[in-house]
Amino acid sequence: MTVSARDLAVVTRFNGRLFWRDRTALSTSVALFLLLGTGMPLMMDRLQPGSPEFLLNMHLGVLATVLVVATFQQTAVTLSARRDQLLLKRMRATGLGDRDILGGEVANLVLQSTALTAVVSVALYALTSLPVPRDPLLYLFAVVAGALVLCLLGAAFTVVVPRSELAAPMAMPFFLLAGLGAGGFGPVTQMLPGWVGTVLGVLPTAAVTDMARVAYAARGGLVDDLGAAAVPTLKLALWAAAALLVIARRFRWESRKS
Amino acid sequence: MDGLRKSYGDFTAVRDVSFEVAQGEIFALLGRNGAGKTTTVEVLAGFQAPDEGTVRVLGLDPVRDRAAVRRSSGIMLQEAGFFPDLTVAQTVDAWRDFVAAPRPRDEALGLAGLDAKAGTRVRQLSGGEKRRLDLALAILSRPDVLFLDEPTTGMDPRARRDTWEVILDLARQGTTILLTTHYLEEAQHLASSMVIMDRGTVVAGGGMAETLAAQTGRVAFELPPSVGLRDLPLPGATPEGDLAVYRVPDPDLAAHTLLDWAAGRGLRLRDLEVRTATLEDLFLDLATDERSETDSEKEVV
Repeated sequence: MTVSARDLAVVTRFNGRLFWRDRTALSTSVALFLLLGTGMPLMMDRLQPGSPEFLLNMHLGVLATVLVVATFQQTAVTLSARRDQLLLKRMRATGLGDRDILGGEVANLVLQSTALTAVVSVALYALTSLPVPRDPLLYLFAVVAGALVLCLLGAAFTVVVPRSELAAPMAMPFFLLAGLGAGGFGPVTQMLPGWVGTVLGVLPTAAVTDMARVAYAARGGLVDDLGAAAVPTLKLALWAAAALLVIARRFRWESRKS
Repeated sequence: MDGLRKSYGDFTAVRDVSFEVAQGEIFALLGRNGAGKTTTVEVLAGFQAPDEGTVRVLGLDPVRDRAAVRRSSGIMLQEAGFFPDLTVAQTVDAWRDFVAAPRPRDEALGLAGLDAKAGTRVRQLSGGEKRRLDLALAILSRPDVLFLDEPTTGMDPRARRDTWEVILDLARQGTTILLTTHYLEEAQHLASSMVIMDRGTVVAGGGMAETLAAQTGRVAFELPPSVGLRDLPLPGATPEGDLAVYRVPDPDLAAHTLLDWAAGRGLRLRDLEVRTATLEDLFLDLATDERSETDSEKEVV
């Protein structure tokens, strides 16, 4: 089964409309994203002025952490709820393909979280000493690829979610670990044994921050950037492949009771 | 469908089910809860793959060619959710984007009898109104084949009659319709052929008229005072409370015989009821047969 561009666009647009009507999504994915994404680096910039490296680390760490909420957790919650309410089944009763249905949800959340990242980033450029990235395209790629992989992982995660009301609490450990690894809670990993940082560095959020850090680096060129971004990109590709495999083999379109 | 078998773990939901539905025909799939009707419909609609057997819809495999089958079919599922915060009109508009060459929104809502509810949020609809919205979505794509899984459950009598008219109208326009229902009157009114399923297998089936014609009609009346069953002119009467009941192939002839006999003796046959076989009789007969089988099994045990 192939993805139909027209159907994918239709489902993405439909999900976008639903997203902006969903108060829970607005409070967790939008309000939290904007408040934390802007507020934390802004506060740190005020508390510790003249520390551009610290500010950048805080920005990227918080960004990766809120991306987990807006993508991984939001995908898991939305798809679990729609599965349990038999909404996915109803959508499958149309001529839409499975890939269009899932792809539309993923594409919508990638678009929303990329737009939120843009708002947060521009706000920080305006309100703090955070510089504009030297390679904005690489920064954009890091955000889009990271959001995409996290959404796919969220869809794969629904396989282990027995009931939709458990999706958010079950996603919490991943949120904490990803935030910890990305530095969203400050340089906590520096106080932990070295192997913890190594393990957390495998997570996709670490790949996002690594790649974004390359985009923000003061020096470098196209070749250097591509070389530095290769390993994080490969990590994201491996996570995406694992998520797609789980989705293809185990994704449930209906609740167990149905 | 030929030799369908579908199991869930150790439980076999459907086994050796075979039937054909002609174009433009309304075909009823009947049976009690757990008979296997919904499983059969879900296999036909491509939601589940058969374990054994051949299933074709419009000549296509509903699992392998699901996209093509779905484009030409409408499905009214027994259980499926709606987006509760959308209005009826918004729901239909969204679904119009999901199907090719859809009906205009107002036409779909009109056919489903939901014109007056266009601006109502789905969460505020009654159960029957949700079924009608279900119907509106199922017929949106002007399907060649329509699967209706208990289409009128929860509807009031008026809405049910209106839905029957819509279904008959669609069939007249050439839509092939497969419906499941608990309302035997509904099946008898709509369908030209049917199968009755029980415990996953087909226990009766064929053309509706032929199947019913092969069944016995019913003649019932209150026994006149001082008349016993043995005094009646026809053998085979059974008591049902105060009534004597005959189940006979030709109930009109039996009624004539009984009335002649009563007139000759100056008797009145009170509460006389004469009717040909209904689907309900067939259903009850099958249930009785099954109880007898179960009792026999118990005795053997």
